Amino acid sequence: MLEFFGRFHPVFVHLPIGILLLACICILLTFKAKFAGLKPAIPLMLLFGTLSAIISCFTGYFLAHSGDYEGGLVSNHQWMGINVAILSVVLCIIYKKVKSKIALGIMATILVVLISITGHLGGSLTHGSDYLTAPLKSDGAKGGAAIPAIPNLQEAFVYQNAIQPLLKSRCYSCHGSEKQKGKLRLDQEAYILKGGENGHTLIKGKADESELIKRILLPLNDEDHMAPKEKPQLSTNEIALLKWWIDNGADFKKKFKDLPQTAKIKPVLASLENGENNAGEIKNSGIPAEEVSAADDKTLKKLADASVIIVPVAQNTNYLSANFVNAQSMSKDVLNLIKSIEKQLLWLKLENSKVNDQTLTAIKGCKNLSRLSLNNTAITDTGLAQLKELDQLQSLSLVGTKVTLKGINQLKKLKNLKFLYLYQTNVTKNDLAAIKKLLPKTSLDTGNYKVPVLVQDTTVVKAP
Amino acid sequence: MTRDELNAHRLIKEAHEANARLHSRRHFLKESAMGLGALAMGSLLGSCGDLFADKQTKIAYDPAHPLLPKSPPLVGKAKSVIYLHMAGAPSQLELFDFKPELMKMDGQDCPPSLLAGKKFAFITGVPKMLGPQATFAKHGQSGALVSDNLPHFSTLVDEVTFLKAVKTDQFNHAPAQLLVHTGSPRLGRPSMGSWVTYGLGSENQNLPGYVVLTSGGSFPDAGKSVWGSGFLPSVYQGVQCRSEGDPVLFIKDPDGMNRDLRKASIEAINKANEQQYQEYNDPEILSRIAQYEMAYRMQISAPEVMNINDEPAYIHEMYGTQPGKACFANNVLLARKLVEKGVRYIQLFDWGWDAHGDSPNNSLNIGLKNKCRSIDRPITALLLDLKQRGLLEETLVVWGGEFGRTPMMENRNGIQNPFKGRDHHTEAFTIWMAGGGVKKGFTYGETDEIGYSAISGKVDAFDIQATILNQLGFDHEQFTYPFQGRPFRLTDVAGKVIREVVA
Repeated sequence: MLEFFGRFHPVFVHLPIGILLLACICILLTFKAKFAGLKPAIPLMLLFGTLSAIISCFTGYFLAHSGDYEGGLVSNHQWMGINVAILSVVLCIIYKKVKSKIALGIMATILVVLISITGHLGGSLTHGSDYLTAPLKSDGAKGGAAIPAIPNLQEAFVYQNAIQPLLKSRCYSCHGSEKQKGKLRLDQEAYILKGGENGHTLIKGKADESELIKRILLPLNDEDHMAPKEKPQLSTNEIALLKWWIDNGADFKKKFKDLPQTAKIKPVLASLENGENNAGEIKNSGIPAEEVSAADDKTLKKLADASVIIVPVAQNTNYLSANFVNAQSMSKDVLNLIKSIEKQLLWLKLENSKVNDQTLTAIKGCKNLSRLSLNNTAITDTGLAQLKELDQLQSLSLVGTKVTLKGINQLKKLKNLKFLYLYQTNVTKNDLAAIKKLLPKTSLDTGNYKVPVLVQDTTVVKAP
Repeated sequence: MTRDELNAHRLIKEAHEANARLHSRRHFLKESAMGLGALAMGSLLGSCGDLFADKQTKIAYDPAHPLLPKSPPLVGKAKSVIYLHMAGAPSQLELFDFKPELMKMDGQDCPPSLLAGKKFAFITGVPKMLGPQATFAKHGQSGALVSDNLPHFSTLVDEVTFLKAVKTDQFNHAPAQLLVHTGSPRLGRPSMGSWVTYGLGSENQNLPGYVVLTSGGSFPDAGKSVWGSGFLPSVYQGVQCRSEGDPVLFIKDPDGMNRDLRKASIEAINKANEQQYQEYNDPEILSRIAQYEMAYRMQISAPEVMNINDEPAYIHEMYGTQPGKACFANNVLLARKLVEKGVRYIQLFDWGWDAHGDSPNNSLNIGLKNKCRSIDRPITALLLDLKQRGLLEETLVVWGGEFGRTPMMENRNGIQNPFKGRDHHTEAFTIWMAGGGVKKGFTYGETDEIGYSAISGKVDAFDIQATILNQLGFDHEQFTYPFQGRPFRLTDVAGKVIREVVA
């Protein structure tokens, strides 16, 4: 029953905050002759404010003892709240007797400060102590990656490096040192094993029967679903990781390499290692971290007039993509225009165009270029020399050109190259080993795939 | 009056009427201050009403150049989409979703728990269970299960992401197809390709941005609405092309009309349209002019690009084309050519996958096997060919039907069908994607032990649409078009990007 009254605390607290603040402001205002007319209202305001402050104290006391809250924050809040109530009672009684403006002013100011502190502490209790400052932190506690990247994953500790950070970001605010909803704490090994008012939290080796996992997997609209609907939810990968940890004994000491790693968990672990545990989150991957200045409008206009399709790769960036699909018979100077947008050019398609070894010099300085297609052009090994310094290239397509191993050998600085397409070039299968040595991280594709002819390809199944 | 005079009279009368019809509304707006005031008021209110306008994706729509390429809001991983739709709905249980448990139940009566409260298109009473009518094996490093119906494709499973727990709520072909492609089972919404070309324009100014190719001898059940532009400007509707004869009907100049005359006539028409535009300022007139110009350019470039005969013989062999015929293989080869030329969205429909078991051609053991044979080589060749040309990275290939098929054998009107067949099924089917920044060799979603319903990784049409848009650089929730007083989106009020399959 007392707990029932306690639950009115969050509603009632707003009354003393509002009324007493207004009363204090009015007290300070009445020192100016212009606002002297407010005076008669002040005792009434103080009276209501004081009454509501006292009620708040009692309801707050009941709530604190309902068991969901423990620790220093609550007791600070409690004592500050009691101070507010005492000071407002004093002010209420002496207001009409004290004539000194200074004394009244000081008391009103102190009351304002006390109310602010109490309010802030109360807010920290309900929303978590970092609630107010979270937006100021660059990593944005909300929705961001809960688990920081773990570079040397196999040697890392499962609990300490992955599970704990996960619980910290998703659970501690209600089940930690400041607040223990359902009498449950998840911030230390002993507490996790002890469980909450509904019994165990986890059963070692049986994730599906563990309350922790069960509640996470409840439908979002279920009252018992964790984390609560309005709070950031656990991602699929995070849930898979938790389950994997519990299924394998929920050990607090073991390293990743000590636990069996099935095919199912491997991709999850891989994403942990890369710090992509929110894999697929919309982000501008694939463009350089540093933004460039906008390209010169006149150049863009000239290129567009020459039927070159040129647009920013996305609306929020100045990096450009250029496609010569409609400008295949371009004049010599068109490619030269690229020189004035070399900083901005990110993707370039010159497929089937009239580009040759000589005109390709225009792209020599496109330092940020990451995708380049020269398919079916007259480019030879001589032309490839122009790409020597383009060390941001990630994808290079040379299909249907006359390039040979000699030409590719000039590209050893392209350490970021992920894909190199060599279908229908003069690079032979025997050259691949040499290229692999030169560019170990690059996936090479010489194409020439064949689909074998099977009986099924040429016959049909007939009705019996 | 002579006959000629009568005709001339009629013509003039008709012209007057046409003019008056145009005029009446415009006249009203032009002449009446009230009307203009109301209009101004409307646009004023409109401009202050939308509180969330700044959050929404801004698409710069230029009616004079509706197909100019535009930047996506975010950097997309894919630049184009090839959507291979097997109209009629292929059976997941004979292709990708292997259920040994179902084999054990073969021939038994369907347990009542699977029938209670369910509605099927044809099944009535208690049907018999039907085991898998194909042999399955694990393939590739990912160990994905594919049946012997697709021997070529099964060598490529490590390039593909399978979505094995796709659900729908429509069990008839037309509404289900509309749902997959327009986000609504009813007519009138723009198709996905229209949204994409509206948002991104086209890379190639001499070709349509959204091309539709059909095979299998019949259109999809949902008809042309399934590639319609709905309330988006009509320039964004799919352009249906053919892989035999003229790629676009009536694209050739008629006999006796040479290129210069054609140019002169288009210039004259455009001049007249420009005058009309000067007078009325209707942006749709500018679109019209742009379309005439594009049609003129297309007359030159389309026959060249759309002619698959200039591809070398080994490519034809790879795809298994049948030159001169309208078939899926030809369309698939054409799709690759179009992607190479910068076409944004290529939609293929192949009709004839509706294996009910009511005839040999509609059975799992005959018709379905032959359909599989007709697509196995082309889809395999498409993935390999895109890969070797460096195009698979930026082209998203999607394969699927509009729903799945039941683990039960169909018993139409309570009588068992003469051939092995399955009824329409909404609760679980398989769709796969490849390229365009989705994972390789990955399977998402699971069905229960008989493949009746999805148990994990459930996705629906909206989720798939959201994912496709995501790969192209759009947040599907912000990509809207104002219509009838509210912003509309492809996924309406649903959809969640399937982040698990994004590489």
